[in-house]
Amino acid sequence: MALAGETSVPVDAVMTELHSRVRERLRAQLLASGGSRDFEDPALFADVEALLHAAAGTPEAAKLILPELLGEPDTWRLSTSMRYQSHRSKGPAALLILVKRYILMPAFRWMYEYSRDNFERQRRTNHVLFACVQELALETALLRRELRRLSGDRE
Amino acid sequence: MKLAFVVQRYGAGIAGGSEGHCRELAERLSSHHDITVLTTCARDYVTWENALPAGPATENGVPVMRFPVARQRRIKIFADLSDEVFDGAAPPDRQQEWFKENGPDTPGLIDHLRSHGRDYDLVLFWTYRYSPSYFGLPLVADRAVLVPTAEEDPAIDLSVLHEFFDRPAGYIFMTPEERDLVSSRALHSLRDSVVAGIGLEPVAATPSSRAPIDQLGIPADYLLYLGRVDRNKGCDALLDNFQEYASTRKDVTLVLAGPPKMQIPEHPQIRALGYVSDEVRSALLAHARALVVPSWYESLSIVLLEAWNHGVPALVNGRCKVLAGQVTRANGGLYYMFPAEFDEAADYLLAQRAERDAMGRQGLRYIDREYRWPTVMARVESLLQEVYGRTSRPRRQPASAAGVGVN
Repeated sequence: MALAGETSVPVDAVMTELHSRVRERLRAQLLASGGSRDFEDPALFADVEALLHAAAGTPEAAKLILPELLGEPDTWRLSTSMRYQSHRSKGPAALLILVKRYILMPAFRWMYEYSRDNFERQRRTNHVLFACVQELALETALLRRELRRLSGDRE
Repeated sequence: MKLAFVVQRYGAGIAGGSEGHCRELAERLSSHHDITVLTTCARDYVTWENALPAGPATENGVPVMRFPVARQRRIKIFADLSDEVFDGAAPPDRQQEWFKENGPDTPGLIDHLRSHGRDYDLVLFWTYRYSPSYFGLPLVADRAVLVPTAEEDPAIDLSVLHEFFDRPAGYIFMTPEERDLVSSRALHSLRDSVVAGIGLEPVAATPSSRAPIDQLGIPADYLLYLGRVDRNKGCDALLDNFQEYASTRKDVTLVLAGPPKMQIPEHPQIRALGYVSDEVRSALLAHARALVVPSWYESLSIVLLEAWNHGVPALVNGRCKVLAGQVTRANGGLYYMFPAEFDEAADYLLAQRAERDAMGRQGLRYIDREYRWPTVMARVESLLQEVYGRTSRPRRQPASAAGVGVN
């Protein structure tokens, strides 16, 4: 890249070049480790990478279709917070919750936090996977529509 | 104008981005406005333990009124409650409980706002996440200006904030990304707002001496991390990325300057200096090949602005929209999202000297353009006049004129 001295260096242009180098590196590693030969086509790899990149960048707060279709969140969603509950009657329940909160929890907090951190990672991964599936479903739907339009044109 | 500044902690020795921002604005505006800072007796942002005397005081010419904290933060209860409300779907009362537990719980300050809040023309609140702002702002909403210092962390997704972010009469933001974030959480479009940021003084024209860092044996080719070495600041990922990178680049060192809050690996190319003096800090900034900012959450990275102020480019975490936005607007460095990008970007900044220097200069020009105090204060002053002009009219008019003004 011939940029020097007082010449301005546009970050976008440098980042485009860096992204393309990184993409090439990933493609080479993928092929070397026995990945699909279809990725010998750099343009195809770039398309796939762009699609997954967009999905992976979906914000945590973004609404997605698949989680809505899965129904009641309590039946499938990873819950990472500690809830102090007891099925017993009021008095014993209060005592049990007290024991759980102030005796057991302090003793096992390290283990709880270790597990919670891992569940958090899994939850984030699930979110990204949901986003990827949505992105692919959208792409498929658009291609189908395009295919129908083209077949219609021929008829 | 008679202004109240509400902030969780206040004082010359108190570190913290929002506290520092509040103090700078208070001191700079106090020459032409009647300002009172309403704050707590706390110095420690973790416990909120009362450490400063309650009542009136004057700090660097600014009148300050301190209120005692009723209860120190209950760390474990707060941690459990954070897990619960950030897990999603917590009812509003539990979310409000989170703001109460986050503290500082200062009933005297809230009572003061309830009984005297309307004596002020405008009341400015720093940081949406703390109790004085969350519970105090609604009491004076018609004259409240919020400085949210919002980041894309889990707290911003609490559903009770939709209504809260609708309340202020005006907003002062640190970056356009922060404005967009808060706008996206409010129910309606925001009222008057300004992206002001913080100001920096120009550094001395003569190049800073390398002597203080030569004494520490810091080599020429180093990347600098400045600040608390903490997982919450993305330092765990930075250390992983760098160790991987250093396995192929034996000539580069990562210098960490700041108090360690996590285990730092023993590595010949990682130098952890701990807390450093201002002299060393300044020399480190002036001579770094690049500043690294690995944080995921920022409303404005002051250290990034400081690096540009020294003409040094930056390498930032691109997953933080604020950092990527700042770097792109300034053309002052590069960003990365995963280890392979970190390697390429670090390589570029270390190897391409002319481009690296140009990016540093571009960063400096950005600071000159956007972040000098006269520019920042002009933006703030203009916003305050605008909000005051709009909100003071309906206050003074009879009931028949209701409906004019605040929309």
